[in-house]
Amino acid sequence: MPTRTLLLACCIVLIAVIAGAPFVLNEGFLRLATECLLLLTMAQMWNLLAGYAGLVSLGHQVFIAFGAYALFLTSGWLEVTPIWVLPVAPLVAAAVAAIIAFPLFRLRDAYFSIAMWVFAEIIGAFTMKSQAVGGTSGVPLATSKLIDFDWFEPTMFWLAGGLTLVTIAALYKMMTSSFGLGLMSVRDNDLAAMSVGVDVRHNRFIAFVLSAAGCGLAGALSFMGNLFIAPLAAFDVNWSVYMMFIVIIGGIGTLEGPILGVIIFFGLRELMTGPLGLSGGWYLVGLGILAVVVMIVAPRGIWPALRDRLGVRLLDVHRAAPRPATATIPPGVSERVTG
Amino acid sequence: MIWVETLINGALLGGLYALLGIGLALVFGVMRVVNIAHGEFMVLSAFCAVLLSSLFPQVPPLLMLIPVIALSFAVGWLYQAVIVNRVVTSPDPLSPLLLTFGVSVILRNVMVEVFGADVRSLQVGELSRASLEIAGLNIGIMPLLTLVLAALLFMALQLVLRHTEFGRIVRATADRRDIVRLSGVKPDRVYNYVMGLSLALGAIGGVLLAVRSSFTPFSGAERLLIAFEVVVLGGLGSFWGALLGGIALGMAQLIGLKIDPNAGLLYAHLLFFIMLLIRPSGLVSSRV
Repeated sequence: MPTRTLLLACCIVLIAVIAGAPFVLNEGFLRLATECLLLLTMAQMWNLLAGYAGLVSLGHQVFIAFGAYALFLTSGWLEVTPIWVLPVAPLVAAAVAAIIAFPLFRLRDAYFSIAMWVFAEIIGAFTMKSQAVGGTSGVPLATSKLIDFDWFEPTMFWLAGGLTLVTIAALYKMMTSSFGLGLMSVRDNDLAAMSVGVDVRHNRFIAFVLSAAGCGLAGALSFMGNLFIAPLAAFDVNWSVYMMFIVIIGGIGTLEGPILGVIIFFGLRELMTGPLGLSGGWYLVGLGILAVVVMIVAPRGIWPALRDRLGVRLLDVHRAAPRPATATIPPGVSERVTG
Repeated sequence: MIWVETLINGALLGGLYALLGIGLALVFGVMRVVNIAHGEFMVLSAFCAVLLSSLFPQVPPLLMLIPVIALSFAVGWLYQAVIVNRVVTSPDPLSPLLLTFGVSVILRNVMVEVFGADVRSLQVGELSRASLEIAGLNIGIMPLLTLVLAALLFMALQLVLRHTEFGRIVRATADRRDIVRLSGVKPDRVYNYVMGLSLALGAIGGVLLAVRSSFTPFSGAERLLIAFEVVVLGGLGSFWGALLGGIALGMAQLIGLKIDPNAGLLYAHLLFFIMLLIRPSGLVSSRV
């Protein structure tokens, strides 16, 4: 299949680019690229939930925080380099998601969204009270002396790049599998999906847990890069704002949308806070206005609108309906079926 | 005795919280939209009141409620007409949620840039400290007035919705948006008025809360969460339920603060979450 070969070739080129980038880029640029890639992963995870499973979470920062705190605390207890305990982050976030899913999945639409937010606020408040995890002032990475700082930035970049590639590849694979088809059928029409035997709750549950795990890992990497974590930064609702804006602007329910969204997100940020000299607040205002305009003009986002106009298909997971076999259709109705 | 006083003060605070929730409930009941920007609009109205009272220091600050309410009504009308009406009939129930969330982010950051991130409050002088002593209990005049005002507003709203032509039109639009058009009602226009009314009610809550406690441009989120919790605890669509929900949250918050002085809204949030766990049937929505 030619598309397959093309994707594989793209993948190899991307791996080569990510492997080589640290030798070409300077440190500041590398940090920015790492930030981009991590936010792209988080946006893809938010999109998995909102765009494919139809659940909008306004409290996804709680999984970022759980992943990051899990990494910081385990690394401190075991006294090993934080990179080796990275797997703890997605596991903890996934476990929390699996538990919290039981009460939250009783709620629908806006109730789910805001209950998630309240949950994040509660956990944030407890974190600020608990001296064991540093209280309001936060904790530094206890094992930062074990890190080889000559290779720290490149390693962070490689980890972020690897995570992004694996995430997108896995999502592509998942969405072209029967699980993905089931998930999308639930989003498009849950009643019809149920009637053909799709387990709606089960599908949503898996999407929720996977989304939490991905955000946990990306969050752990993000705060590991800072070598410090504080509850106000970890439980910041702006994490959800960023993920949402990237997905909404780029294109909800597509794999390419968040990529485009991240490019716009960082492009606008560098333009507004750099040459235009505006503050971060005005940047968020600009981004918000862009998101609101996109939602009104092109509710599915910029990428789907572009795709339909240009006819380009990159990581498309759409499937064409099977063509009716002409022989089995009686001549009288065939025109109505195909037309 | 101190606990009785805490409970009474909690109930009085609850009247204020109910006021925060009622605007949200009205919009949800009529157009099935949770207006996430509700909290930011409340904070905006509080900023307006502070601004006006610094411009006209000789006028009692509480009188500023009148222009602020009028302004909020106009803002709500425009907000609905220009933005929300475009997605209110969207087949995707998540569109209005995402759109209003986007608006809340815009408003919050505009307020940060325009007014600064400083902590503000609305000073009303003697009135905020005045208190009554009944049977050895100390009860603030201002919270008492707030609760009375909340109850009066609820009654007025109930009367308007039940017994006036406007109320009948609003209820009919809430029931069948498509059918009311046959009687010459334009649903979008009804929505404009409802959003205006919702933000006007929010403005009363926002300004009175600014008298009671200080605020920053970031306070919108906690105002929204409280409003939402009030509505859900009280059972959607029921005004008196909202009053009860507000009172429960106000008591939970003040009892929490007695146990742990820097708890903030934690105990109110916890009460809400526990109620979600044990009484999900109370969350079933009904119309206005």
